[in-house]
Amino acid sequence: MTQLTHTDPGGTPNRSLVHEDWDALTFKVHRSAYRSPALFQKEMSRIWGHTWLYLGHETEIPNPGDFKSRTLGGRPLIFCRDSSGKIQVFFNACTHRGTVLCRHSEGNTKFFQCFYHAWAFSNSGELAALPGDEAYADVPGFKERHRLRSVPRVDSHEGFVFIAFDPDVPDLLTHLGEAAHYMSLTAKIGPQGMQTVPGVQLYSVKGNWKLAVENAMDGYHFAPTHNTFVGYLRETGFAVTDDDQYAYDLGDGHGLLILTGHNGRIGMVWEPRFGEGEKERTAAKRQEMEERLGKELAAEVADASRILFVFPNLLLFDLEALTIRQIEPVEAGRTDVRAWQFVETGEPDEVRALRIKTMVSFVGPGGLATPDDIEAYEAVQRGIEATADSADPAYDWSDMSRGMANEKQGNQGRSIDEGAMRSFWRQWSRRVEGDGTPGA
Amino acid sequence: MGRRTVTRAEAEDFLYREAMLLDEWRLDEWLALFEEDGRMEVTTTDWNGWDSSSAGAFMCDDYGLLKARVKRLKSRKAHAENPHSRTHRMISNVIILEQGDETVWVAANFIIHRYRDNQEFSYVGRYEHVLLVDDDGLRFRLRRSIPTAETMAPGARLSFIL
Repeated sequence: MTQLTHTDPGGTPNRSLVHEDWDALTFKVHRSAYRSPALFQKEMSRIWGHTWLYLGHETEIPNPGDFKSRTLGGRPLIFCRDSSGKIQVFFNACTHRGTVLCRHSEGNTKFFQCFYHAWAFSNSGELAALPGDEAYADVPGFKERHRLRSVPRVDSHEGFVFIAFDPDVPDLLTHLGEAAHYMSLTAKIGPQGMQTVPGVQLYSVKGNWKLAVENAMDGYHFAPTHNTFVGYLRETGFAVTDDDQYAYDLGDGHGLLILTGHNGRIGMVWEPRFGEGEKERTAAKRQEMEERLGKELAAEVADASRILFVFPNLLLFDLEALTIRQIEPVEAGRTDVRAWQFVETGEPDEVRALRIKTMVSFVGPGGLATPDDIEAYEAVQRGIEATADSADPAYDWSDMSRGMANEKQGNQGRSIDEGAMRSFWRQWSRRVEGDGTPGA
Repeated sequence: MGRRTVTRAEAEDFLYREAMLLDEWRLDEWLALFEEDGRMEVTTTDWNGWDSSSAGAFMCDDYGLLKARVKRLKSRKAHAENPHSRTHRMISNVIILEQGDETVWVAANFIIHRYRDNQEFSYVGRYEHVLLVDDDGLRFRLRRSIPTAETMAPGARLSFIL
């Protein structure tokens, strides 16, 4: 693919790539934001380098010694539980000469040993063995200086583990803001808690990472893009509706769609494709939830589906069933995607099977719906080459103004408008085009 | 029914014919290769032999979902496959793993080249199928595709039948 440099959009009040005008009711994003390699580097530095990033869920590494190796923001990391049970996140590079220390994607170990010169580190990061250490002066001091490098900040909320490469980011809960509440709602679904299961969808799309965020926050595309999936649901006896569904700006780029009419929710809102057996269990589960959480909270947890975006790399799909999706930008036109099924701990086998079958039939590169979303990201990525450096600079902007007139009147934005996308782009602009400081 | 020996040649004929039907997008005839209540799975790349009902997957279609998938793929509104990908399937290393009373377990390797949007995608993997043995042929009880890649390559989605 040819590399195109961003040219001055021209005829605009400033050089920003995000134009918002509440008099004209226009909101436009310059398409170089999806194309430019230079801008991609800036995003990696200003966003990925300086904010909390979703790394993984605690239940991926339930036992002491469990580890996963995972690349985040382009940096190879080790996500592990040390022998004392504490979660550790290390840069996956030997402190000696930088060799990738752990070359397995997952496992269980007390020590990570570098194959190159056999330096061995405990799973809590101490340099435990240093072959031929008589050649070093002050061996204890040398070992201490060469312990495994930890990621500067690690914290978790409801089992969701976040990291930051910048030691000076605000506390995780400050960063999550209102989004924390919605993560907590999802965490309350199972009486014994929630967990990830193996069978992780690892795939990669030829589209900019922001297209994946927009798509998840965009209820407008659902009916036309997922025409065949909506048709399938109708045949199973469930009528999809977009009525009375709203989008929420949770601040700092986080967004939320609350969807009441898109699908049932296993164990919480019955629909015919779940089968008759589930009907009774759903009623019993609601009773259990009301006893455990109170009537009001149980209803908030159970009644509506939610798609939560936690800026910049976590999407939590709390729909028929649940999926955690992590987006990892690789280059301007490529994004790696990782998706975990998120399930109730200790649920009956047949419910687990139904949950996985149902969720996989929708989401993922082999589902009945997500492939059409991927088609959309990839078709946008190809399509925006058409207007790059075009004679009329106005051609090279994408429109995201849907619903602004309604919003200006003070009404809550609908899920089928573009308000959640706008709040994402505002935060993007603050981060990437501002002075780069958090919240600037 | 059953109890007759299925030769590798018979299994190969079945798999080659299936590949032809899929490459030619003859999806109704392809669906007829399944028994009623037949299932289809595409495992994730971290698959370790687990049952698809207890872990995630790329596809785990029961017969109802299989029918829905075929209906979708025949629709002009299945945008990811409109226009259809061109696919070219090579199947080899066919082995009869085990012959039971009613069924035979067959494994094979596959390479599928997919062409779309002037790009080429390669899918390399292994089949491990459970086939129902009839007097007049074989049918899928469980059709399982196991991609070999560590992660699906950029653009290598599973919008078609792997």
